[in-house]
Amino acid sequence: MRVQEGINSMAGADQFPIGMRVLAVDDDPVCLKLLENLLLRCQYHVTTTNQAVEALKLLRENKDRFDLVISDVIMPDMDGFKLLELVGLEMDLPVIMLSGNGGTENVMKGITHGACDYLLKPVRLEELKNIWQHVVRRKFRHRERNTNLSTEDPEFDKLPNSNPSHAQGQHGQNSSSDNSGRYSKKRKDQNEPEEEDGEDNGYDNEEPDPSAQKKPRVVWSVELHRKFVAAVNQLGIDKAVPKRILELMNVEKLTRENVASHLQKYRLYLKRLSAVASQQASLAAAFGARDPSSYLRMGMFEGLQSYHPLASSSQIPSSLTSFQATGGPLLNRSNPATLGLPGLSPSLSNNSLSSNPLNELNKFQLVNLPGNSNHANLLHDQLPSELSFSNVTNNALLPQTSQDCMQPRQSAVAATSFHAKPITFENRCLTKAENQSLEIPSSSNDIFLGRDIKCQSSIFNEESKLLSFGGASQNNTKLQWRQDDLHESTLLLSSYLDSQLPNNSCNTMADPVTIAATGSGMVQGLNGGVFNQREGVATSGIIGSSISGLTAMTNHDSQLKQREEYNLGVQKVQGGYGSNGCSMDGLLNSVIKMERDDISYSDGDIGCDLYPLGACM
Amino acid sequence: MDYVHLRRQAASLRKGLFDQGYLDEQFYQLEDLQDDASPNFVEEVVTLFFRDSARLMANIDQALDKCVKDFNKLDVYMQQLKGSCTSIGASRMKTECTAFRECCRDENIEGCMRSFQKIKREHSVLRQKLESYFQLLRQAGPVECATRPNK
Repeated sequence: MRVQEGINSMAGADQFPIGMRVLAVDDDPVCLKLLENLLLRCQYHVTTTNQAVEALKLLRENKDRFDLVISDVIMPDMDGFKLLELVGLEMDLPVIMLSGNGGTENVMKGITHGACDYLLKPVRLEELKNIWQHVVRRKFRHRERNTNLSTEDPEFDKLPNSNPSHAQGQHGQNSSSDNSGRYSKKRKDQNEPEEEDGEDNGYDNEEPDPSAQKKPRVVWSVELHRKFVAAVNQLGIDKAVPKRILELMNVEKLTRENVASHLQKYRLYLKRLSAVASQQASLAAAFGARDPSSYLRMGMFEGLQSYHPLASSSQIPSSLTSFQATGGPLLNRSNPATLGLPGLSPSLSNNSLSSNPLNELNKFQLVNLPGNSNHANLLHDQLPSELSFSNVTNNALLPQTSQDCMQPRQSAVAATSFHAKPITFENRCLTKAENQSLEIPSSSNDIFLGRDIKCQSSIFNEESKLLSFGGASQNNTKLQWRQDDLHESTLLLSSYLDSQLPNNSCNTMADPVTIAATGSGMVQGLNGGVFNQREGVATSGIIGSSISGLTAMTNHDSQLKQREEYNLGVQKVQGGYGSNGCSMDGLLNSVIKMERDDISYSDGDIGCDLYPLGACM
Repeated sequence: MDYVHLRRQAASLRKGLFDQGYLDEQFYQLEDLQDDASPNFVEEVVTLFFRDSARLMANIDQALDKCVKDFNKLDVYMQQLKGSCTSIGASRMKTECTAFRECCRDENIEGCMRSFQKIKREHSVLRQKLESYFQLLRQAGPVECATRPNK
């Protein structure tokens, strides 16, 4: 890893663009050197690194250290889009994508992931000379906001329930802000101080004008997100409309638009997760002697379809598919089965599709969690490095929001557990409590495949949440049985444990260890804190333990409110169960609805626009 | 020493590279970036390029030797190589890289191998020429030779 600092002799910090601090990330040393010099020529202050992981580390160390990030799209250790998402979500810095590929799909992907610009290689000096505009825009707004606000807390996102001003969905904002950036500069004084923006870097490119629903940025703290997820689960993903979520959340100063936007992001996240999961599931293809690539393409839907005709992948609108760089449209969408987990991040699907699926999985397997004590970092660090799954993004988000969760290892365990063959991963769950490399054996897919839940397994591999979703939907009968017997939370796990075990319909308990392990694994994956518990539970290998573990998990949900997905997944499942009485049909419907919702919003709608479909369901 | 003569030689070598399509406009950018702060920028980048591309090409060689026909992997490698070529303006190599990637898309392993041989040739020729060029520049003195002549 190499980090170089270019000294800008004219570092006048406030003389934008001179002295603007740029972080450049590109694995190609030639491009990086060229970029560095070009940036120096523009009189920026340049730091370079050829590893995305290192870049994230730098950014996290000090969020104020950089003004702008320029990143390549294709990098070996982490997908550029994922880095983009992480940076946007965590640090709220403008990110510019660089690529040799300027195809519409890729550019679109950049936009949806929040890039504020997309440059083609070879980059020209003239283009770089203008990139400062993205920073200035945000800075002006921020300054305005700052002067208007008195009680800002720069560490806004760390405080639970801190003033929840809502940032428009990242993507939405970025795009709208980009469009309006030129105008907004003139109107920078019109920031509405309606809600406090605690962010230090108020890089909210919101229009000062209400035209873009401008609101101070809401920081979705762990607590807030937890409430959000709880509300969504309670309502059922298909019925989760912003208005009702808002009501349930009962948070002051949160608006429906805030919720809508967040919901959109959340769904995107889920979709990505499920897409990843389905990819993996299909890869395993243990049961179907199918060509792995076809699995990938079919992904979740196939699995679903076998269950339920509604889960037709045909619903994937082209707009969604376009998000998938590689031909995995289904994958992204496919995860309706996983209760609306949005398809895997495009990068993910791209990766998997483009390469040997098994390799992808293997890559995942090989992730060795760095000895990072920050669990959250671990998790998402490792994930991105292996597979730029969207869930990695989520994990990455974890660090900032939840200190109490994620034990990457455990999540790894969870992941591995799913991937592995039932027995294998079961062992994993049990034995490798700590710091196991994420193994994503494709065998877990087998499990699912066996149950015709290919997609499900893949999801699980990715996220326990995914698993829960998949399991939930899959195990109709099991679920109900489980539900009757177990605490709802446990049911969640068991149900999907069942699903994981091929043809193990009768045995939810049959393999208590396995189930517990898987369940716990999953839970752990979902919640850092939960993991711990789960793990303990799993190791006990007793259903009861697992159940209690699950229960614990459920209880912990509130604590765990990690930013996203993990909790979300679990909660969702639970919510699903709760609301539907764990009927498979209900689940599938939810999934399908989610899918539809996803479709609707994938069409580029922002925030509340998504809901109509969902609401209609 | 006849600096003028050397400089003229260097200039002519350089012009030849452009005329024959070995280099394209991107190379001008490199030259533009060379200044007092980075007086050897072009040579540094070019050196870096040859080192990195050699590594990539070794990977590709290995991948091709294995006869596994992992076109995806080959494509990924080639994409990286092409990116590098684009960055320094190695025009002919870039063209061959594109051809190689097309062969990958068509899953034409023979085509890939042929194309790769061409890439290796181009790589080697370009390297020779640029090395001569820089050597001449060095000999001719650092004055204005490093900057782009009137072109």
